[in-house]
Amino acid sequence: MLRAAGRRFLRLGLEHRAPTAAVAARGYHERVVDHYDNPRNVGSFDKNDPTVGTGLVGAPACGDVMKLQIKVDDATGKIVDACFKTFGCGSAIASSSVATEWVKGKHMEEVLSIKNTEIAKHLSLPPVKLHCSMLAEDAIKAAVKDYEAKKAKLAAGNAETTQTEKVASA
Amino acid sequence: MASRFAPRLFLRRLRMRRRAQPISSLHEASAESAGVGGDRIFSPSGSWSPPDFHCISRVFFSARPSLLDEGKGPAAIDYPSLLPEEEFHRLADETIHELLENFEEYGDAIQIDDYEVDYGNHVLTLKLGSLGTYVINKQTPNRQIWLSSPVSGPSRFDWDAMSNTWVYRRTKANLFQLLEEEVGQLCGQPISLR
Repeated sequence: MLRAAGRRFLRLGLEHRAPTAAVAARGYHERVVDHYDNPRNVGSFDKNDPTVGTGLVGAPACGDVMKLQIKVDDATGKIVDACFKTFGCGSAIASSSVATEWVKGKHMEEVLSIKNTEIAKHLSLPPVKLHCSMLAEDAIKAAVKDYEAKKAKLAAGNAETTQTEKVASA
Repeated sequence: MASRFAPRLFLRRLRMRRRAQPISSLHEASAESAGVGGDRIFSPSGSWSPPDFHCISRVFFSARPSLLDEGKGPAAIDYPSLLPEEEFHRLADETIHELLENFEEYGDAIQIDDYEVDYGNHVLTLKLGSLGTYVINKQTPNRQIWLSSPVSGPSRFDWDAMSNTWVYRRTKANLFQLLEEEVGQLCGQPISLR
């Protein structure tokens, strides 16, 4: 008897809710829509600026390209600003937008531990869109790597100049 | 698409006039890969056939240097070293079909609520009810099989000819092994996919 009553209740509920439930099941999570409608930190830094690290990941053929840039304070190693430009689906845009929000104010080593699973959970990404969050994680790592490579190059360049100066003055 | 036909006319005239002149190749545009994890940057879409592309780009370069900027946009895929598309499709389809059959058999053997195996448009979806959903699909431009797992998240498998298996380069995981371990653990009953 309970089971029958339950079934009746369910049917009633379903009748009322069916249309909206169907839409909600296929729609983007509200956080994704929010990032899409109000994207944070869209833009570009000068990639030749020595305090800027640029991470470019993905491929147009696959449907997603993300460019994530970080501006680092050389003295403290903290990320003072970040911006992104993404070509791809709503989930990809939201993932990279979230990534720029999360890296601001953090130390470079710290952001390397940002995991794609965290981004995916935050945006309630469906299974097929988990790859977007992975791309965002990769973009962060690529940006940090680029900045460090630039820094190393500059340091090497400076070392060489000091050496040449020493030789010259000797 | 008028630009596709004009070069061919031009090429014919060019050949008539300058037989001995060597036409330099446009392949210097190729090596701009800054992708992370083996992804290729700006590869042209898979629908371009290599011979046509080379033919057109040669004419542009030798005849009209200003169009070089247009041709320089996407970096060319290094076709010789890439797994041929046909072979990729054959291997990937075989793998996915094998998985499909095994998952269907497994579903008959175990009792999980809302167990569902779905296959459409070369995308294999394995629903395990409240335990999560697996999605396995081909990513042709990268010659990869992409997996989305409720346990380990996203991973991308490349074909390893040496071991005849699909391997995720970052973790060295084997596709079949990973699925066997995860699904077996989730559903509480071992599954064999090989």
